[in-house]
Amino acid sequence: MMNIALIGNPNTGKTSLFNNLTGSYEYVGNWSGVTVEKKVGVFKNGEDQLIDLPGVYTLNPLSKDEGVVTNFFLNEPFEKLLNILDASQLRRNLHLTLQLMEYGAPVIIGLNMLDVAKNRGIQIDIGKLSEALGVTVAPVVARSGKGCDELAELVTGDFVGMGKTNLVYYGKAIEDGILRLANMLDGRVKLPIRWLALQLFEGNSYVKDYLVKYVAIEEIESLILSVADSHFQLSGDKQTLEQVIYRKRSETIDKIVAASASRKDNKKVPLTEKVDMIVTNKFLGIPIFLLMMYFMFMLTFDWLGFPLSDALDAFLSGPVTAGITAALAAAGSSQFINDLILDGIIAGVGGVLVFVPQIFILFFFISLLEDSGYMARVALVMDRLMEAVGLNGKAFIPMMIGFGCNVPGIMAARTIETPKERLMTILLTPLMSCSARLPVYALFVGAFFIQHKALVVLSLYVLGVVVALILAKVFSKTLLKGETSLFVIELPPYRMPQARALWRSTWDKGKGFVKKAGTFIFAGSVLIWLLAYAGPEGANISMDDSYLAALGGIFAPLFAPIGFGTWQASASLFTGFLAKESIISTMNIIYYVPDEASLQGLMAVHYTPLAAYSFMVFILLYIPCLATTATIYKETGSKRWTAFSIGYALLIAYLLSLAIYQGGKLFGLS
Amino acid sequence: MLGKLKAGEKGRIMNISGADKFVRRRLLDLGIAEGSEVCVKCILPFGGPVMIESCGQCIGIRRKEALRIEVERA
Ligand SMILES: Nc1nc2c(ncn2[C@@H]2O[C@H](COP(=O)(O)OP(=O)(O)OP(=O)(O)O)[C@@H](O)[C@H]2O)c(=O)[nH]1
Ligand SMILES: [Mg+2]
Repeated sequence: MMNIALIGNPNTGKTSLFNNLTGSYEYVGNWSGVTVEKKVGVFKNGEDQLIDLPGVYTLNPLSKDEGVVTNFFLNEPFEKLLNILDASQLRRNLHLTLQLMEYGAPVIIGLNMLDVAKNRGIQIDIGKLSEALGVTVAPVVARSGKGCDELAELVTGDFVGMGKTNLVYYGKAIEDGILRLANMLDGRVKLPIRWLALQLFEGNSYVKDYLVKYVAIEEIESLILSVADSHFQLSGDKQTLEQVIYRKRSETIDKIVAASASRKDNKKVPLTEKVDMIVTNKFLGIPIFLLMMYFMFMLTFDWLGFPLSDALDAFLSGPVTAGITAALAAAGSSQFINDLILDGIIAGVGGVLVFVPQIFILFFFISLLEDSGYMARVALVMDRLMEAVGLNGKAFIPMMIGFGCNVPGIMAARTIETPKERLMTILLTPLMSCSARLPVYALFVGAFFIQHKALVVLSLYVLGVVVALILAKVFSKTLLKGETSLFVIELPPYRMPQARALWRSTWDKGKGFVKKAGTFIFAGSVLIWLLAYAGPEGANISMDDSYLAALGGIFAPLFAPIGFGTWQASASLFTGFLAKESIISTMNIIYYVPDEASLQGLMAVHYTPLAAYSFMVFILLYIPCLATTATIYKETGSKRWTAFSIGYALLIAYLLSLAIYQGGKLFGLS
Repeated sequence: MLGKLKAGEKGRIMNISGADKFVRRRLLDLGIAEGSEVCVKCILPFGGPVMIESCGQCIGIRRKEALRIEVERA
């Protein structure tokens, strides 16, 4: 079995290729920095492993996702490299390729995006390119899978060359420096010395930390200084080593490109630029973004989503329940089992499944946003606002992803270069209203705000963003001061999203929700039902005497000032920590109703519209769910920040709900 | 200065050393350095970022940084 690493510049189609070669599905999107951690898959031949890595421009990292790649090269075993190049940006892509060849592992190049290059009038002679580099170059269309089988055969085959490891001559000073490092290490490291030395001279801190394990830090630093000094002595130019290395590589690349690529001038304005004139327009940029959001909410919560969910609800509570009841009767099951299945599982799991259509619509839109290339534009348009609160536009991408699910949102923060901004983004992304909170809104707006469903839900989403921005300002003025913020974003060309890719992306997000309903929510429903079924005085009692009521009752008084001091509300808030959609399944079980519609009717008895809004605001903000909390811990590596993320959310949620409920009452609302 | 160009104007980068170290590094990663030709595609309001095009790719940077990059109008 071989390990083959997939590496290349960001947004060149690595993950698309990975999906095609391994038949799996990992996250694909049209912006730089979609993949933020290493993913392993098995080739269709069932033997060799393919490892998908985050995209990098060079092996000298600036951000955490890029660090993943450097760490991989330093610490993990692999046999071959599969380097993906974007044919339309050959120059920039080859900088990485040269570094890979210096590493000296067997490498194969997959040339992707040939269609884009062709549109720009760029012609590439694959034979010449392969000859110049000394490695096999294979054309692929990673998106459609064309050429993928041939590529798979090539990389898993026996004839993979290393290419020319000494393509670039860096001048006497640097070349001597490489030899000196080799002497210092004296065969103690297994990694290729030439590569280590060049990375060190370029200022790669990961490589430096690695070398410090073998050679004293003073020696390393004096080596770097003396190489820089001798370069200046020999050539008289004042460039830093990093600049010299970059320039030497550029010179070699210019020769390679001159020999293998030609360019016809293409005067027609690309479609991408025409679209950009509108969506990043001075005046229209933000309004267009808001309009799209509004459209998305209307479709999800009003025009399309609601009727679909209602139909599903009718189906589940009608034929399905009837069918199961009949089946249970036929099997002659006991009353206990009947109750458990009908009032516990069907109510709990069914109550969540009802929202599948709405969730899929939302995910469809998020996928559309991701795959079209608009995401990076949103980051650009939002940068000014984000800068004002101490973040940068890139932080908006994790937040948008967070609308689907907070977990990948928090992961996406890895691409933010400055640690302070990254931490803030991690802490604030849970305030984005994820899809699991959607059922709660759907239930309550259906019961209380039937006229303005989408608008009320939109107000909650906006509230989440506004609270996040205000807190960002507060945090950056108090807890997380200092550090300059930086913002450079690549704006990829728009790509027409393809039906298949869109569907896969939507399904990949949505299936998590369905799966959770079948496992987590299922188990939770059983537990909740049991807690509601039994109490200190025995089983099958009135629910108000159950353990669940006792548990909820302890905390209920706390919530009275914010409008929902019932044991039912506090009990469902508890389960909401495990997964937000549990709130709904718990309510379904507690209120003991056959379907969504009657639950809504019942809600009107237990809540006033004002209390309902206060409840929704509380749900929006009060706590990151269990999976999110675990991700925050994993990404910050700090128990304190994890505890903080829970603590501040609870506080803010309570204060805001209090202000809304009490304030609303003052104004005579109810 | 790059930040002074109007939307649609083109220029060649003369000196980039005034820009922030990280910004410079990122631009270099994207193949933008002294000598690169750039074209300002659009400028966002309220002192927001600028979108520039160079060698067929579009990049957004802050106005503040663009104001530290010397260009020669073309
Ligand atoms: N036109 C065209 N688009 C492609 C091709 N291959 C992939 N894409 C698109 O390019 C975009 C980026 O694809 P990804 O597979 O996510 O790229 P990646 O290299 O994994 O990106 P990062 O994980 O961010 O480094 C997606 O929108 C793909 O649909 C291709 O051959 N032609
Ligand atoms: Mg990827």
